[in-house]
Amino acid sequence: MKKEYVTFVRRLRDLSEGKELLFIKDLTPGPRKYDTKLVRANISRQADKLPDGDVLWIRSETGYLHSEPWAMKILEELPPYVPGQPWQDLFVAMRQL
Amino acid sequence: MAFNDLREYIAAIEKSGDLVRVKREVDWDMELGAVCRRNFEQSGPALLFEKIKDYPSGYAILNGPVATWRRVAIAMGMPHDTSIREIYAAYEERRDKKIAPTVVKSAPCQENVMTGSNVDVYKLPAPMVHDGDGGRYIATWDIIVTKDPETGWTNWGMYRFMTHTQNMLTGWPQATSQLALMMKEKFLPRKQPMPVAIVIGCESLCHMVATDPYRPGENEADYAGGLRGASVELIQCKTQDLMVPAHAEIVIEGEVLPDRIALDGPFGEYPGYRSGTMGEGVLVQITGITHRKNPILTLTTLGIPPDDSSIAASLTAGVAMKRGLKRRGVPVKEVYVPPAGVTHLIAVSVERGGNRVARQVLDFFTARRVMVSKVIVVDSDVDAFDMDQVIHAFATKCHPGRGITVEHYEGRANALTPCYDADERRRLKGASVVFDATWPDDWEPEGIPVKSSFETTYPDAIKKKVLAEWKSYGLGEKR
Repeated sequence: MKKEYVTFVRRLRDLSEGKELLFIKDLTPGPRKYDTKLVRANISRQADKLPDGDVLWIRSETGYLHSEPWAMKILEELPPYVPGQPWQDLFVAMRQL
Repeated sequence: MAFNDLREYIAAIEKSGDLVRVKREVDWDMELGAVCRRNFEQSGPALLFEKIKDYPSGYAILNGPVATWRRVAIAMGMPHDTSIREIYAAYEERRDKKIAPTVVKSAPCQENVMTGSNVDVYKLPAPMVHDGDGGRYIATWDIIVTKDPETGWTNWGMYRFMTHTQNMLTGWPQATSQLALMMKEKFLPRKQPMPVAIVIGCESLCHMVATDPYRPGENEADYAGGLRGASVELIQCKTQDLMVPAHAEIVIEGEVLPDRIALDGPFGEYPGYRSGTMGEGVLVQITGITHRKNPILTLTTLGIPPDDSSIAASLTAGVAMKRGLKRRGVPVKEVYVPPAGVTHLIAVSVERGGNRVARQVLDFFTARRVMVSKVIVVDSDVDAFDMDQVIHAFATKCHPGRGITVEHYEGRANALTPCYDADERRRLKGASVVFDATWPDDWEPEGIPVKSSFETTYPDAIKKKVLAEWKSYGLGEKR
């Protein structure tokens, strides 16, 4: 059974196929739904490229939901934060990792 | 009469017919938010959800404690049909009073305690408020407590926080907020975490004080006492050197981390939009959670007004603005923050108008961090609390060329203003405008257009006769 996650990006064009660092939220129903993980993952627009992957929904910085989910294979789970100062642009900080 | 806690206040608004208990099970994952939002848009009652999916019986969520003027009046101990102007006047009269808090040794808010590895914020029914939010916003109608390590000043503010993991929250106090200034000036230079307490579920006046823009250095707990007419009882947190209201329903204790960040937002915010404030917030490591037995989580399902934010801020910001304008020497008569304007649009009436006064008003609103983008200045014969009158003055007296003054700025704009583009929001770049809907002060009185109203057009003798004979014309009073 594939699991489902959602990630947020500023714009869809910020996301590239291949290896990405992502904050993802677990959409498994129950009291821990939306728990956040920071992962390195392979992602693809096409599910058949990652047959053992999970479903990754994508929302923009305004919460706009893109209609087609991507596929995602989690490679590594990291501590759920990145180095940076409060109020710093998180996505800039993530690019520096 | 001061309410000791949220539960006493709930009893009062239930008695007045301003509360509905929702007894059937409701899903915390958007269903509850959708019910609350539609109810707000109908100016409905406060809702107490008594059965939350996935959570123990007895855990509850209260949405909209002060989302109507009736409920604000009750919170202030006034008759529920008190007019908005009278509520403003009462708040203004009480606003500067201080009653020092009382420190207690034990408190209801610490009936249940989670610390260390037992901390699990998912044991509380944080709602997914809107579809598309970045997470479950556990703190929307809250008091965020922080303390200056040098002066001891304890600040109360109201900022959003969402669940991140079982022992972390992310949040977004604006980068120009008092919390942000304290963090940037007192903790970041030392690379130290800042203790924080996220307090949920107090009686309503404590929360309203947290929305009031008191100056840095002022302890809101003192003013909450003054506003209530009774001292606020405080208790020491279990894991942080902070004092919190003893009768709160839930207290989340933690530290704002100086060197780690994570994803906050987006969130459907008080201007009524998810406007793209995401990934520029703070990360809180939770060190403890305390709560009452059967805790009640206070919520405001923000969005299109009215809601608690647009009503409470109308009052607290409006009165604070009037004070500030007076301090600056503006001949202000009244300030009204119409809830529909979500603190972006302000009506100011002045005893003496003209372009110079309008400029003074604009200078006040743009001097520091700027939350207001549009101000309409009207003469004193216009009732600032009557938006029909304000719009009429704006439409007829504001010169489209000479009557509009714009001030541009950077680094202090309101990042939540929806009309700013993404770059402006990130750079806190914006503009404010004043619409001068007063008569120019250099016009000769005999040349000023005369308002054609019953009150201003007819001799007193005629008016007196018409009023005396009104019913004889076959007419009734306005309903």
